[in-house]
Order: sequence, then C-alpha cells, then structure tokens
Amino acid sequence: MKKWLLYILMAAVIGLVLAFIIGLLLPQMRTENSSMQIDITDPALIKQGEYVARTADCVACHTTLDGADYAGGLPMLTPLGAIYSTNITPDKETGIGNYTLADFSNAVKHGVRKDNSALYPAMPYPSYQIMPDDDIAAMYAYFMSAVKPVNQPNLASELPPVFNWRWPLAYWQALFAPKREFTPESQDSLVARGQYLVEGPGHCGSCHTERGIGFQEIALSNADSNEYLSGAVIDGWRAKSLRGEHRGLGTWDTAELVDFFKTGRTDKTAAFGAMAEVVEHSTQYMTDTDLQAMSAYLKTLSPAPNKEVKLPVKTDETTQKLLDGVYDTRGAILYAEYCQVCHRADGAGVPRIFPALDDNSAVYARNADSVLQITLSGGRMPKTPHDRMAFTMPEFSHLSDSDIAEVVNFVRNSWTNQAPMIDTTDVVKMRAFLKKKPTTATDLPPDLTVANSNKGAGNE
Amino acid sequence: MNKLLLTKSALKHGHNTLMQGALITSLTVIMASLAACSQPEPTERAAAEYNLIKANDANEDIGKYVLPQDTAILDEPNAEEIFYGKRLLNETKRLLPEHVGATMNCNSCHISQGKIPLGDPYINSYNFYPRVMPRAGKEIDLQARINGCFKRSMNGKPLDREGPEMKAMLAYMKWLSQNTPKDQMVDIKNAGSVDESLVPDPIRGEKIYQVQCASCHGDNGEGIKDARGDVVFPPLWGEESFNIGAGMARTYKAAAFVKYNMPMGIQTKGLWGHGGVLSDQDAIDVAEYFTHQPRPDFAGKVNDWPNGKKPKDARY
Repeated sequence: MKKWLLYILMAAVIGLVLAFIIGLLLPQMRTENSSMQIDITDPALIKQGEYVARTADCVACHTTLDGADYAGGLPMLTPLGAIYSTNITPDKETGIGNYTLADFSNAVKHGVRKDNSALYPAMPYPSYQIMPDDDIAAMYAYFMSAVKPVNQPNLASELPPVFNWRWPLAYWQALFAPKREFTPESQDSLVARGQYLVEGPGHCGSCHTERGIGFQEIALSNADSNEYLSGAVIDGWRAKSLRGEHRGLGTWDTAELVDFFKTGRTDKTAAFGAMAEVVEHSTQYMTDTDLQAMSAYLKTLSPAPNKEVKLPVKTDETTQKLLDGVYDTRGAILYAEYCQVCHRADGAGVPRIFPALDDNSAVYARNADSVLQITLSGGRMPKTPHDRMAFTMPEFSHLSDSDIAEVVNFVRNSWTNQAPMIDTTDVVKMRAFLKKKPTTATDLPPDLTVANSNKGAGNE
Repeated sequence: MNKLLLTKSALKHGHNTLMQGALITSLTVIMASLAACSQPEPTERAAAEYNLIKANDANEDIGKYVLPQDTAILDEPNAEEIFYGKRLLNETKRLLPEHVGATMNCNSCHISQGKIPLGDPYINSYNFYPRVMPRAGKEIDLQARINGCFKRSMNGKPLDREGPEMKAMLAYMKWLSQNTPKDQMVDIKNAGSVDESLVPDPIRGEKIYQVQCASCHGDNGEGIKDARGDVVFPPLWGEESFNIGAGMARTYKAAAFVKYNMPMGIQTKGLWGHGGVLSDQDAIDVAEYFTHQPRPDFAGKVNDWPNGKKPKDARY
C-alpha cells in the first residue's frame, strides 16, 4: 500500500516536472526572430505606428484613470483576484525599453514576454496574432520613439498561488491561441479590411464574443463559428451581439455604425461604459475608410444561432399613456418622475443629447446588465470633437432595488421594446458587483469647467 | 481522507442509496444556505432628508423632512388631483396652451419637479405664502404667486384662482410639503447665491454660452422641441422665451440659477446630473449675455416695486 502510494507520488512529481519543463519550452516554440531592419526614428513610420496603436486600442488597458499614458497599472478583475496591465512605455527599467523588435512582436502577437514566459490572455494576442509584421514594426517605432518613458514598476497580480504561475499559461496558449493567419472571407477589399480590423487589432471579440471554460473566446473569427461576436457580458456590461439578428446589429445600418464609431453617438443611441472608452481612445481616431470597412464587415455577419432573427411587431401604447398621465404600473410612475424629462414620453430621447430608450438595441437586450449598471452608477458619453458636449446619465443608486427593477422592466418592455423581465435579485447582484468595480474615465462626469473649455468644451 | 474513502466504498457497494440521498440533500441545503448568506439584502430607497426648523427660529432642530417619491402619491385620497398638478407643472405648455405664451414649462426652472434645493423647489411653497413680497409691495398668496409666473416667466395669462388646474398645482405642492406644520419650514435654500459685486462681461458670457449652453438651448437661444413640438429645452431669448418681468431675466438671479442647476446631464450625481461647473464670474457673465438678448416686454411692469427697493439687476 505504502509503496503503491509512493509510486503514484513519484509519477506525479515527474509528471509535474515534465509539464513544467514543457511549459517553459512551449513559449519558445511560439516566438520568432525578426530579420526586419527598420528605422525607429522615421517620422512616417512612427505616424503609421501611432495609427496602428489606435486601432489596437493599447492605451485603454495600459493606462489608469489618472496615470501616464501606457504606464500600465489598470486592474482587470478576475474571479480569483485582479491582474494589472503592464508598463509599455520605453522606460528601460520598468517598461519595454530593452525590447527588440522581435521581443515586441513576440509579446504583441504571440503573448510571450522577453523572458520567454507566457502573458495572461487578458492581453488580446489571440487577436493581434493576425497583424502583419509591417504594422507591428511601425507600432514598435511609435512606442520606442514617440511614447514618453515612465518609470513605474509593474504591479504583482493578486491571483493566489498556482493560478499566478506563468508556465501553465503556455498550455493555455497551445490550446486556445494557436498560430493563425488572416483569411479574408470576402473578395471585396473594403469588407476584407473591415474583417481584419475587427478580428485583429480591433479585438472586438475580447468583449463581444462569449468566453469558454478556459476563459478563451469561443471563436476568434466568423469562420470558426457563427457564435463569433454574438455578445457576452464583461465588467457588468452586456457587450451586445454584433451579428445580424434583431437584438444584434439587425436594426443598424452602416451609416449609423460609422457615426457611432466616429462620434460615440447616433440620433438614437450613445456609447456608454466600456464602449465609450473604445470610442474615446480608439475608433474616433480611425479613418472614414476604416470605419466604413468595419461597419460594412459587421453588417455581413449572419444572425447568431438560437437568437430571434426578427422580434414580433409591437405597437407602442406607452407614449399616449404617459402623455395622458395614465400610470398603470409603479414603473410608469417612476419613469415619469425620474426619466421622462430627458428620455421623453415617447422614449425617443433627444438626438445626440439623450439616447432613445425605445427601439434601442442596447436597452432591449435579453441580458439587462447594461441598463442596470448605467441606471445604478451613471456614466457619460465619449468625448470627441464632433459634438460640443459629452452628456451624462446620473446615477439612480438612491432608488430602492425593487424600484430599480420596476423602472428597468418598464423601460425594457414599453413602447416597441420587448425584453425578459428582471427581478430585485438582479439589482442586488449588480449593486454588489459595482461596489468592487474600479472606476473608469467614463464613470466620471466630463470636465466642463470654463478653465478647461478653451480646449473646446472639454475636447482635446 | 479516511472519511472520504469510507463514503466512497459505501457508495461503491451501492447498498445505501438512502445515505446517498441524505448526503446530496444535506449538501444541497448547505450550498443553498451559503448562497443565501452571501446574497446581500435588497437596498431600500435612500431619500434625501432635510431638517425641519421653526420659521421664526432657524436654530431649533425639531425633526426631519423626507423628500417623498411620486409613488407615495398613490396613498393620498386625492391622488388623481396631485398627479394632475404634477403633470401641469411638468408639461405646462402642452397641457395649458391658452395660458402659456412662452415655450416653457413650470419645471423648466423648478427643476426635477420642484424637489431640489437651490433649483427653485416647491418644498416650502405651500407654507411660505401668503406673504408680503417686495416686488408686489403687498401680501400675495400662493395662487397669486403662481399666476405671477404665468404672466412673467410663461409670458401668458393667469389661471382661474378657483379652477381645477390651480387646485391641482396647489395639491401637488401641499403633498410635497408632507404636512409640515404651518409654523415650520424645511431647512433648505430655494436659490444659491452669487457674488453680486462682480461686474458682468457679456462678451465672455457669449463664449461660455456657445460652449456650455448652445448644445441644448441653441446657437440663437431658440431651445429644442421634441418630435411633437413639445418643450425639451426652453428658448432663452426671442419671442418664445420668458418676458422681461421674469426673475430669470435678471442677471444675478439667473446667474444663481445657472451656477447651481446648469447644464443638466453633465454630472453623474443629482436627479438631473446638473450644475456645479461654473464659477460665480462665469455664471454672471453668461447670465448677463442671455438675459439681455431680445425678449418680450411685460405689460404689468409699471406696478412692480411700488415701495422702492428695486434690485440693481431689475430690467425696468
């Protein structure tokens, strides 16, 4: 009996050592040596790199609320504790100042650090994988030559032992982030460009594709599965489905998408939460052609499986009732008191100022998290030079949980909206989650002080 | 370890399905109770609370006023009348077009249904009147005060003092007072203060207006209407705006309002997400700019301030 146990123990130890060694070797199989010769001081290359970095939205995760650009330190919550983004300024001691182009490329595309250990998949290298070497080189030139070095040590993760080991991540990479090439689905060069931006640098799937048991995106491209970009929940936001069904982008046209990416709003809706950050840091800087391309590609995606392609037609009975003061639910009374002044009796809001609630696909998603979060904690639209002011939604955390549920149900099922009902428990859960959530820039009101307004109503 | 092995063997031999069932049941119960423990209780409403004071002794703390939510109107015997009053105050132009000349609602200025201190609240209105007012130079009651608004801010015609519309508005204000005794008041201010010694600069005011106000009130002060033509943002000047007899046409009164209440939808706190971005000078400059744009005259102006004491920002 004892001997038998010993054998098992020995086998386990040997197995672990082997797994550990292979785990150390695996990343090296992913890395590549670059023979590219580039001039990192070439202004044209730096400019190109700056644009690529915008499309890849590096700044969003590698910068904290009041921190220096790209100096890292932003917490990303996992069920086991926070991990922190790293300093990617060219500081030699604490940043990536000692990275060669090959080191840089291996980190960005393959998730392997200079010391050959694996990066957490919070870094979207499974998406960046398909980026061409020229773009990576341009980005390298930008980071090395145009980003200000900041001496700021990286923060250790809060993950418990075993989970904070790096070598098992190599297996994750082997399983879920295989080497792959970009394969255009369309002959149309605009659509293909859009597909590349969405799938690659834009890493839209990081938020908009469901994650599997290993925290991997269940599809990295439309070719993988039509569950790609079919919506997911992240940081208490419902990142909507971007596919063709009614609750996805079925009701959007390409012009609206371009407007949304460029300005963070349309006549009907406004970006909020994590997407407001994306617009503010990334898409507003993209060229019209690239925005057209992304929009055109997204509109080619078929309806997501098992989702209603078209919702039944519903007649609006709410507007007249509110105009007539017929408050037949508690939710209606609450809506009239707290919401109607901005979002209006017809739920149409005010174009580019207050988003519509009726016929707004962010409102009647099956999952109510986005509506719940914005109602409880408020938030603001992205700031762009296209509109003079970025408006906010104030928080309504002073309402009771049961009243929040009532008014959210009212909003999601009034006018032509149709959505599943929520209950008080959902509000309780969201409130508990929001207590832990770190504050982001779009959780805060815009700086509208006149001292700041010479920059153009808070625009840079 | 031993226990686990025992259980395992017991299960393996399969002669004790009862035990298995009991085990699963007890596990389920434990899990369920754990889940119940970790689930916090639903949060109750955190209503704004203010002290009650004696109207003639501001230092005496005699109780609390709790800001009511409209859902509580249902508990009142005259709920329908109160709701009607609330709607009239919110949508005055649409519901009383004969009486409202301007494209404005009462609650364009009495923000968030008159429930916000410094935002011209109605919280103390029911108990405050009748009172001798300097502008009228005599005692006026709440009906007269409301009709003053209709003639000035709304640039319209007074309501029938005994009509259902006036009664409904009063019923809402009475409900909002939450039965505060007549000799008491809620310890809040109706308007904030600005430094009236500051000299307004309308040129600077215009710049501030274009950046901070024009998105909603329009490049030419015209405001915004919704698809049905109802007021969203009231015009700040022109034929559809308030007339020169309105308090809002006075630089320092308007500045005090603007400083604490405008713009809306720019903060993440407060019922309207409002105010708190302009300094006294900013507010006075922008107020000077928009108040002095063309606007309707006020026929009754000759009767104002009959006993003197006319404020320095009066328009006539």
